[in-house]
Amino acid sequence: MGEPMTDERIRGVVHQAIVRVLPRVRSNEIAGHLNLRELGADSVDRVEILTSILDSLRLQKTPLAKFADIRNIDALVAFLAGEVARG
Amino acid sequence: MAERVPGGVGIEAINAYGGAASIPVLDLFRGRRLDPERFSNLMMQERGVALPFEDPVTNAVNAARPILDAMSPEARERIELLVTSSESGVDFSKSISSYAHEHLGLSRHCRFLEVKQACYAATGALQLALGYIASGVSPGAKALVIATDVTLVDESGLYSEPAMGTGGVAVLLGDEPRVMKMDLGAFGNYSYDVFDTARPSPEIDIGDVDRSLFTYLDCLKHSFAAYGRRVDGVDFVSTFDYLAMHTPFAGLVKAGHRKMMRELTPCDVDEIEADFGRRVKPSLQYPSLVGNLCSGSVYLSLCSIIDTIKPERSARVGMFSYGSGCSSEFFSGVIGPESVSALAGLDIGGHLRGRRQLTFDQYVELLKENLRCLVPTKNRDVDVERYLPLVTRTASRPRMLALRRVVDYHRQYEWV
Repeated sequence: MGEPMTDERIRGVVHQAIVRVLPRVRSNEIAGHLNLRELGADSVDRVEILTSILDSLRLQKTPLAKFADIRNIDALVAFLAGEVARG
Repeated sequence: MAERVPGGVGIEAINAYGGAASIPVLDLFRGRRLDPERFSNLMMQERGVALPFEDPVTNAVNAARPILDAMSPEARERIELLVTSSESGVDFSKSISSYAHEHLGLSRHCRFLEVKQACYAATGALQLALGYIASGVSPGAKALVIATDVTLVDESGLYSEPAMGTGGVAVLLGDEPRVMKMDLGAFGNYSYDVFDTARPSPEIDIGDVDRSLFTYLDCLKHSFAAYGRRVDGVDFVSTFDYLAMHTPFAGLVKAGHRKMMRELTPCDVDEIEADFGRRVKPSLQYPSLVGNLCSGSVYLSLCSIIDTIKPERSARVGMFSYGSGCSSEFFSGVIGPESVSALAGLDIGGHLRGRRQLTFDQYVELLKENLRCLVPTKNRDVDVERYLPLVTRTASRPRMLALRRVVDYHRQYEWV
């Protein structure tokens, strides 16, 4: 078993996925109140970022449709933490 | 039941109509001042554009007519079912199929109706029609399913404007499946209520882009899983030589393929990219010249595979149909060398290349008229002669059906 998946580790996974798909964005620019669109992600980028996060967190069973109402990075991290806790 | 149709059932003929005109998508990007960086994810070259005398009825008829022209009168008489599928209805009660039936000269002993379930509807109709044919209740019967739509998107649709197409795809089904023999019984559905895109009035298309894309991808995963529960030993890579997927824009198809490969195979990024080029890219050639053809889209992708690959041996195609709202299905069939010759005479590629290419200014001028296409009007005349010169005039240009006028809400057409 690895380290417990804290909110901060989840935020790190989110940042990694964003900077990989959007090379022009730096991790310290990803403020919690911003959303992926505001960070410059088009619809295909958004799909790629989310699927990559779900891969990293082994949450492939989580339907993508659940992300449609998540409005910023803070809310995304909180939602993912809930999914991780539910197993 | 199946022994009554030993050669199998499936698609006997298929034809696509992608509008009378087109515009280079890069010109549309420039004209609307859209971000050119987003052009690559769209993966589009041209977009079909209607002329103001075109509507869902003319698109349906202009897609199906070349198929019927190639049939004997006896064979045409065996078309016992005509279904139009559309999210561009011209009347709440009277179907597009009633107009199409008349202008295609089909038998009065043919059952006709119209169906709606966004971009899935044609597949639902096709599966029900195949069930009728395979049941053997009317041996030798044929069915004609025509997907037909128009776009109502203007600059307010931002990046969906360059992605939306106009036109129709006609699919003739029967027990001589020269184009594609369907894998009867091999299918998986995944459907539930969601509000992702809709057309709440004859002038408005609305959409929640993220919800729609995410729902599409969830449906791809679950409909394929449902397919796997019906068919032993299915493997996403080795079972299907090619994949034809509903193509709202090619970037989404690429994302869907990548997601499935990541979840179902040990392939790395390079292997996934190579697999995409080999099994999926051939399906995107025609869609990249037309745009989203709604429920006809997945069948345009099938035509693209056949005309691009020209298979020299039997090849299985996995098909994914998705319609917002949402209903989806993963199913499959087999194409081969006969598919190539069956499509060759219709020359879909020639039709697409032969469309009149418009400037951005011409497009904007036509758009004002085109947006009125579905608005109920008691009486109106359409100035066909004004727009007809925009149709490429070549010796081989086939006659096309045009909307001439509306009288007491009755649409009236003529061949031009």
